[in-house]
Amino acid sequence: MAPTKQSQRQAITLKGSTALVTEFFKYAVNTILFQREVYPSDDFHMVKKYGQVVLVTQDLAVENYLEKILKQVQKWLLTGSVTQLVLVILAKDTRTALERWVFDIKLVDPPPEGSESTGKAEAEIQSEIRAILKQIVSMVTFLPVMQEEKVFNILAYTAESADVPAGEWMDTDPLAIEAGKSQQVKMRSFSTDVHRIEAMVAYRYEE
Amino acid sequence: MSGVKTPSRRRVRSEVKTPLTPSLSSAFNTVSIESPIKRATSTSIPLSDAFQRQASGGVIRKGGVESRIDVVTLDYVPPPKSAEIKRSRSTPAINLSDRDRFITSRDHTLEVSATLDQMSLNAPSGSPTHVARLAAAAGVPLNRRILGYHLQPPSASSDTTLALQREFARPLYANRPGSLASSTGSTTNKTRKISTNPERVLDAPVCWSSLNCVAVALESSTYIWKADTGAVVQMGEAPAGTYVSSVNFSNDGAFLGIGLGTGEVELWDVERGTKLRTMAGHQAQVAVLSWWQHLLSSGCGDGSVWHHDVRVPRHKVMELLGHSGEVCGLEWRKDGELIASGGNDNVVNIWDGRVGDTAPVGGDNVAQGNAKWTKRNHTAAVKALAWSPWQPNLLASGGGTNDATINIWNSTTGARLHTHTTPSQITSLHFSPHRKELLSTHGYPTNAIGVWSYPGLERVAEIRDAHDSRVLFSAISPGGDMVVTGAGDESLKFWRIWDIPTAEKKSKYKRARERGDAERSAVD
Repeated sequence: MAPTKQSQRQAITLKGSTALVTEFFKYAVNTILFQREVYPSDDFHMVKKYGQVVLVTQDLAVENYLEKILKQVQKWLLTGSVTQLVLVILAKDTRTALERWVFDIKLVDPPPEGSESTGKAEAEIQSEIRAILKQIVSMVTFLPVMQEEKVFNILAYTAESADVPAGEWMDTDPLAIEAGKSQQVKMRSFSTDVHRIEAMVAYRYEE
Repeated sequence: MSGVKTPSRRRVRSEVKTPLTPSLSSAFNTVSIESPIKRATSTSIPLSDAFQRQASGGVIRKGGVESRIDVVTLDYVPPPKSAEIKRSRSTPAINLSDRDRFITSRDHTLEVSATLDQMSLNAPSGSPTHVARLAAAAGVPLNRRILGYHLQPPSASSDTTLALQREFARPLYANRPGSLASSTGSTTNKTRKISTNPERVLDAPVCWSSLNCVAVALESSTYIWKADTGAVVQMGEAPAGTYVSSVNFSNDGAFLGIGLGTGEVELWDVERGTKLRTMAGHQAQVAVLSWWQHLLSSGCGDGSVWHHDVRVPRHKVMELLGHSGEVCGLEWRKDGELIASGGNDNVVNIWDGRVGDTAPVGGDNVAQGNAKWTKRNHTAAVKALAWSPWQPNLLASGGGTNDATINIWNSTTGARLHTHTTPSQITSLHFSPHRKELLSTHGYPTNAIGVWSYPGLERVAEIRDAHDSRVLFSAISPGGDMVVTGAGDESLKFWRIWDIPTAEKKSKYKRARERGDAERSAVD
């Protein structure tokens, strides 16, 4: 009885974890777009999520755009073929990367055969997510002010073998910030039973 | 599954321990001090000496980037033979030897992350250790495709700062276009690049005579359109180099006064189509004309109003000085007792219309009138003036863009009887001869014709967007039923606003009343 229960649980957790991670991306991206003023603040409305208030865009175009991206990310997550998601904030005119918000996605090793799986409580995961979102908000205090008009771009780092919907996703430039001009700050991480998300922000900083 | 996991694990380890790029801030320096050592232990054990030399050489050649130097020194640290050998599995040692040499070919690239990304895109050609180190430093994974969504993110629906302001401003636009409309008229005009010239030419030049002729001035020509026959006659040309700025028929319709841009006032015989005389004297454009019997009054750009007696050689019989800006509205009361003038200085003056014998004999100076009332309530130029035909002491005045208000004055007491704010600038006003109603024409943004009841000033009707551009002038037909409007869109439109109360109707009404009386008496 024990093995069947175990396998069942695994199947559910992968799906559940994927949904959880995708949802986290949605709110993280929205938070960044709001906090970094990529879109005007009146495009956002407040939503209660993870036991706190999160600002989410209500611009339909942006909403749909994110929706489409996250849908594909979710598929990749399910197959474990995405390793990194990067939200790049670019200067609109020059298209130079100003900030890169990097989310590493790692697969957590499955617990060794036979051992009791130490399932993480949902509340615990949520509090970790909350901590990341709060950290994103607090980043604003030291990130350089971006004067210019900004656009964003979401890059997915996938495995070579990943299924890529033709015509929708294509290989792109990494939009990297030159090493000498960038500074990086590692942020908190959170993990589910299946995924571990580590966040980092790299920003252009010229003295 | 496991194939995916292995690289990720490798990356986990390397990244956790070396979270740093070259210029990383102090917070992480503490971490960096110990982490490279650990990493060195983990990765260097399985490496051959040759590889280590090459790798370190490659890194050294990277030069300039300080963090690299850290790494280099650490690479030289002899690996302590510890129990951590297991970890080294993460570095695929097999691939090392045959790929090292490619490091040299990459030396020219100075930007670390750029190099790294190149390498990660062409993973087979780069040295895995070197790339791994770089990857660890820059946080970019190996052997990955970097994919971007094919669409660019939608641009912000509105500008950050302006969106809110527009939100606030929208109601203001609707009620008070005032502060932003420019003198060139509506925005459509701007895109079509209609110059301000035609606007000035069309500024006042239409008049509907009591003989049912409409005079329209276009540039330097004046045309008479005979409403009865539909025939169009060209009256004549203004002298070269100027334009007709105003036209006005005498009360009997037999004569036409034409004001010119240079300040002359011409007198024409409508029937014969000949010019009778030219009355010079004004130094600026004659923006408006108004007749009362033999007196032709002209409002001038310099703010003066002159009464010209068209019968005598010394035509200038009186001067009214009361405006500091151009006189753009001038209207005689029907009985000639009073004349009202409105100026670009936002002032409305009501003058005694009597000229009488006050004209001095000889000398250059002429009689000067004094304003009976001076009203400064308007906050914009007053172009629209109208005397009530059914209550002689009522004067209506309408202000321009910033004001957009209709004021109704009692010319006897000087009291302001009514005030009504409209959505947009008022370009002309007329009282209906037959109804207690007031007609106003408007400019940007409504470009409307409004009909208001009197005294309530409630809106009876409104023709929105009567013209494509602002309605600049209007004239009422002698019958009192039709109104002609001309606008900056260079078109004239005729509107049937009111009905002429016919004798038929009157008799019907009487009959009805009589019937009612009869019924009432029958009831009694």
